[in-house]
Amino acid sequence: MTRQIGLILLCFFLATAMLPARADKVDLPLRFDRYFDDAEMVEALKALHKAYPELTELLEVGRSEENRPIMCLTLNNPKTGHYLDKPATYVDGNIHGNEIQAGEVCLYLADYLLGQYGHNRQLTELMDRAVFYIVPVVNVDGRHHFFYGLSSAGGGNRSLRIPTDDDNDGLVDEDMPDDLDGDGTISTMRIRDPFGGWKSDSEDDRLMVRVKPGELGDWRILGEEGIDNDGDGSVNEDEEGYVDGNRNWGAYWQPPYVQSGSGEYPFSGIGIRALADFIRQRPNICVAWAFHNSGGMVLRGPSAKEQGEYPREDVEAYDFLGKNAEKMLPGYRYLISWKDLYTTYGDFLEWMNNLNGTMGFVGELFNVTVSETYKSNQEMQKKGDDEEESFFTNRIERDRERLKFNDHLAHNELYKPWKKVKHPTYGEIEIGGWVKMSSRIPAPFMIRDMVHRNAAAVIFSADHLPQVSLEKVKVVPLSNGLSRVRVRLHNSKGIPTMTAMAKLKRIYPQDMLKASGLKVVAAGPVSDEYTDRVDYKAYRPELQFLRLNAFGSLIYDFLVEGSGTLALEYSSVHAKNQSLKIVVGAVN
Amino acid sequence: MKTNFGLVSWQGLRKLLCFTAALMFISYFLPAQGANYQTPKQMGEWLHSQQKSHGKVMTLEVLSSTPGKEPVYLVKIGQSGTEKMDHRPAILVVANPSGHMPIASEAAILLIERLLADPGQYKDIGWYLVPSLSPDAHKRFFSSPKVNSRLNGRKVNDDRDDQEGEDPPDDLNGDGLITWMRVADPQGEWLPIDGEPRLMRRADHLKGERGLYKLSEEGFDNDDDGQTNEDGPGGVDVGINFPHLFPAEKPEAGEWPGSETESFNLIRFVAAHREIAMTLVLGETNFCFQPPQGGRRGSVDFSKITVPERFASRFGFETDRTYSMQEIMVEAQKMAPPGMELTEAMVASFLGLGAVVNPLPEDLKFYDEVSKQYKEYFKKVKLPLERFDPVRDRDGSLELWSYYHMGLPSFSLDFWWVPKPEKKKDSVSETITMKQLADMSNEDFLALGEEKIDTFLKNSGAPKQFGAAMVMKMVKDGQMNTKRMAEMMKQMGGDKGDAGKEEGKADPREEALLKYSDEKLDKKGFVAWKKVKHPVHGDVDVGGFVPYINQNPPAEQIKTILDPQIPWIFELASNRARLSIHSSKVKELGAGLYRLSVWVENTGLLPYPTAMGKRNERTAPVVVSLEGEGIECLSGKKRELISSVGGHSVAKAEWLIRVKNPVSIRIRMTSNYAGSDLKTVRIGGDV
Repeated sequence: MTRQIGLILLCFFLATAMLPARADKVDLPLRFDRYFDDAEMVEALKALHKAYPELTELLEVGRSEENRPIMCLTLNNPKTGHYLDKPATYVDGNIHGNEIQAGEVCLYLADYLLGQYGHNRQLTELMDRAVFYIVPVVNVDGRHHFFYGLSSAGGGNRSLRIPTDDDNDGLVDEDMPDDLDGDGTISTMRIRDPFGGWKSDSEDDRLMVRVKPGELGDWRILGEEGIDNDGDGSVNEDEEGYVDGNRNWGAYWQPPYVQSGSGEYPFSGIGIRALADFIRQRPNICVAWAFHNSGGMVLRGPSAKEQGEYPREDVEAYDFLGKNAEKMLPGYRYLISWKDLYTTYGDFLEWMNNLNGTMGFVGELFNVTVSETYKSNQEMQKKGDDEEESFFTNRIERDRERLKFNDHLAHNELYKPWKKVKHPTYGEIEIGGWVKMSSRIPAPFMIRDMVHRNAAAVIFSADHLPQVSLEKVKVVPLSNGLSRVRVRLHNSKGIPTMTAMAKLKRIYPQDMLKASGLKVVAAGPVSDEYTDRVDYKAYRPELQFLRLNAFGSLIYDFLVEGSGTLALEYSSVHAKNQSLKIVVGAVN
Repeated sequence: MKTNFGLVSWQGLRKLLCFTAALMFISYFLPAQGANYQTPKQMGEWLHSQQKSHGKVMTLEVLSSTPGKEPVYLVKIGQSGTEKMDHRPAILVVANPSGHMPIASEAAILLIERLLADPGQYKDIGWYLVPSLSPDAHKRFFSSPKVNSRLNGRKVNDDRDDQEGEDPPDDLNGDGLITWMRVADPQGEWLPIDGEPRLMRRADHLKGERGLYKLSEEGFDNDDDGQTNEDGPGGVDVGINFPHLFPAEKPEAGEWPGSETESFNLIRFVAAHREIAMTLVLGETNFCFQPPQGGRRGSVDFSKITVPERFASRFGFETDRTYSMQEIMVEAQKMAPPGMELTEAMVASFLGLGAVVNPLPEDLKFYDEVSKQYKEYFKKVKLPLERFDPVRDRDGSLELWSYYHMGLPSFSLDFWWVPKPEKKKDSVSETITMKQLADMSNEDFLALGEEKIDTFLKNSGAPKQFGAAMVMKMVKDGQMNTKRMAEMMKQMGGDKGDAGKEEGKADPREEALLKYSDEKLDKKGFVAWKKVKHPVHGDVDVGGFVPYINQNPPAEQIKTILDPQIPWIFELASNRARLSIHSSKVKELGAGLYRLSVWVENTGLLPYPTAMGKRNERTAPVVVSLEGEGIECLSGKKRELISSVGGHSVAKAEWLIRVKNPVSIRIRMTSNYAGSDLKTVRIGGDV
């Protein structure tokens, strides 16, 4: 009797151990050794805003399909300017509902910067000159259902909650997974079957390996935990959605039969649409970071091969930021999206690049191969380069190692031992496998390192938001009351004031250098400052259009008539405006 | 007090007043067709009045609001009753999507009037009508100065400088029209045409010709930036703001497909209303006359897929041969994680196979049939068939999106075109067009003779090895027919259409337009070139065709032109797919086992779904479900799916059923937009 009660209690504790700890209220200081559910995320943002009211603005971007708020926390010091008048970094996460640690990265970024303001000089200066728009959770419904609904280690709840007929049978979302054993996670089902093609691993019988040709085995893998709810012969083939929020954007969009999950039309997701409108109202965004899991990568576009490579100057700027990010994130690789992964259409990066003219990165958080190891130093060095992580490669060695990690470092939180369960169709089966809070998601003790390093990569790029100086080089009097006024514009940072692609595609107006106060007879960029070779602009010389490369500079000559004060205004959609007054001619 | 004089005048006055009041009253309700083109506002007022008097069968909604604050109206006409409109098949009609075809909006208004007068047309189906999709642009037809513009009212900084809309066209000669302007310039490319100096052509340098003029739109450089009229009022061309082949590189297409509420809300409506069986766009294309164009590069044939190299080795495919989708699916499914079911769409998207960009051959069959019907209709009502080809469909257009993305039978109509002059019967220089080739029989082709065929092949740019003798032999041997030849040559781009330009001559369409203006418009369709003072260039000539007249007839002719063409729309609609349960058969096998066969028939010409609708999985299959107690399906599911039923075809669904006791089974057949049916059969006992 007592043994039975003990067993029940043990099961109960095991079950609740899988569930995230729930707090009704979120207090500062925020803890980064746990995951926040969707409601706690909102509370955390509110707490940050309450604690730093002068430096933050908390706005509701819009609502999701299930009417949950999508929140943006803006970090800006209004004393140094309006948030639209400075260069900005945009950071978001969790557009795929199951990729939850992206939320923690964004939250940490806000918490860290705000906490350091006034204490750390570098970060204080950064916050004074730049703006951060932070949207920790884009797919609020997905995050919620990942915690409280049906989710597995592989995915589930990645989608937006738009009912879709995934299997084209005229019914919508009719075959969801089923949590047959009520443990809060969707695992794998298997049944005893010598002809099933799998046998228990000889080293760790929790794992299964494929049988050799001609060999009889132990198991048939039935698939994801579930029942054929609609009696069509397939199990769980039409879950919630499937509309992938990161394929629903209006740049290079393709319908679902070409790009799986893109939705019926661009911006069919109402939350995604609201976010797009929100971003369009903030044209000062120079660089965007979108966090996902998993794989341990820092990705840049283009997303599809046919788009062609970015212009050379842009690639250089990307390489500068990307390669530095690699160094801050051991085990992460800086890659090109279409080439090193696969072609995608209608994703957020392409929309930011092509519609908003920003640079953009996707951070694929957590490399399980690098992080969940069970090897000594010596063994590590012998290992060498790891094979590309993909679900098509044989992973029995990796899985054994991961299980040891699970046993001894995560103390059995990540893997659920096989348990007998009665299934309405199959009879007696077993359910087990990796739980949803594993595989793509780091164990809680690893959160802190992940969030800080990734936030640091974002901060590095924010440090390199364009910063332009406008300076007088010289004023040279010429004949007939004409004077040559030479000025230099210099961008001292690693992000251009406008990407070369944005200029090529004429996405928005270029930077402008306007002269007033004196009549401008001719003006233009100087191609050789020693021989005074100038490309004089044919019309309206007092208005010059330009863009500055990363670490780039340009020299302009204005040939003006008369004497007085020449007022120069540099304005840019991305960089902060500058002005300069130059006295020309004799001063009486 | 009654005096003779007073009585007459009072009575007369009263009669006059009553008569006038009656006229005003009636005209308020009648569309003012035949007199004027109606503004979007006038159309709106008329629609409201119709809604008041036909409230039981008509609803009027505002689908969206434009940047210019105009409402886009959506009219729904259908029988109210026990069934909601959503469950009945519906025809969607959208008129004038780019705004520059007011004649199309007038056609939509007339169609609404005809529908309301003929309840038979909306007894079994519903009608959704949008008379003017881009009223901002539609309004420009009535603006002064009049400029042919397809742009809505969104403020766009077209030239990406420091202002918006700062350099519109300018009416230099004060005639209220924006036409053309020619400026004498040593680098000018344009010459007046010999014999018809009103029209211009480019100088041919190879012949030693030198141009005289630079030709541009009437206006001057308002913002002094070196360009003229580069940043006018508006906006976006709503008609190409749709997702299929969206022309992102064109600034007037908009920022992204659906960036404009006019198009976005229509997209949402179509996506949400699966009962729409057919779309009909009234504008400048005509898919009833000829199908959507093919010959685009990039379409992938699912029976011949080349696996990209970076996947090939990993999955054990070879790169030097092609595979069918089925073959690839078999291999891919083996490698997917257990329990993960792959679809063709997932594999196609993973391999980066791309979208369909040409009409699928199966669907071309019904387009060809409808084209035949359309031409026969024209013969029947004695309307002329000779015409210039309609405008070809544009990337990003509504009518293409409806077919390729929504998988619906997509049709379009134009209603008026510039009359085509009689062809000169010159046997030597007469060229055979692709259309003529496709239409003629093999015998007629051979009868042309080797010389004519040779000329034709040369002119069409056929490869050298295809000489006349060889081609004639292929036709004689049955290896080639005229239709296939026309298709192949079209694909090679040899089709110069029926408006191929001859050297040194005017563009045939411009010539025809000028002739039409001279003969039918009392020369008023062309503003004669006249000297005008230009603020910068000094003396310039301003003249050219009056905006809109090349595609819109004079207002007085609206009714006579549209009247005979409206009934065709009803004929077109009658081609829709119509599904019903044709018959059923029960065969007793013994021991309580029965084989139940059900035949579903499509009595319409159009298939359900279209081949495109099947390919993009956007149309749900036909569902045949069995309802009843005590039946066990040994083979077949209770909810059985039929993936498609062709036009004028029958499909079968079959079950192996076990029953313990005699039972009545209800067979319910449903579909998205081809109707539903219900039949009861008895299994067991006395059949």
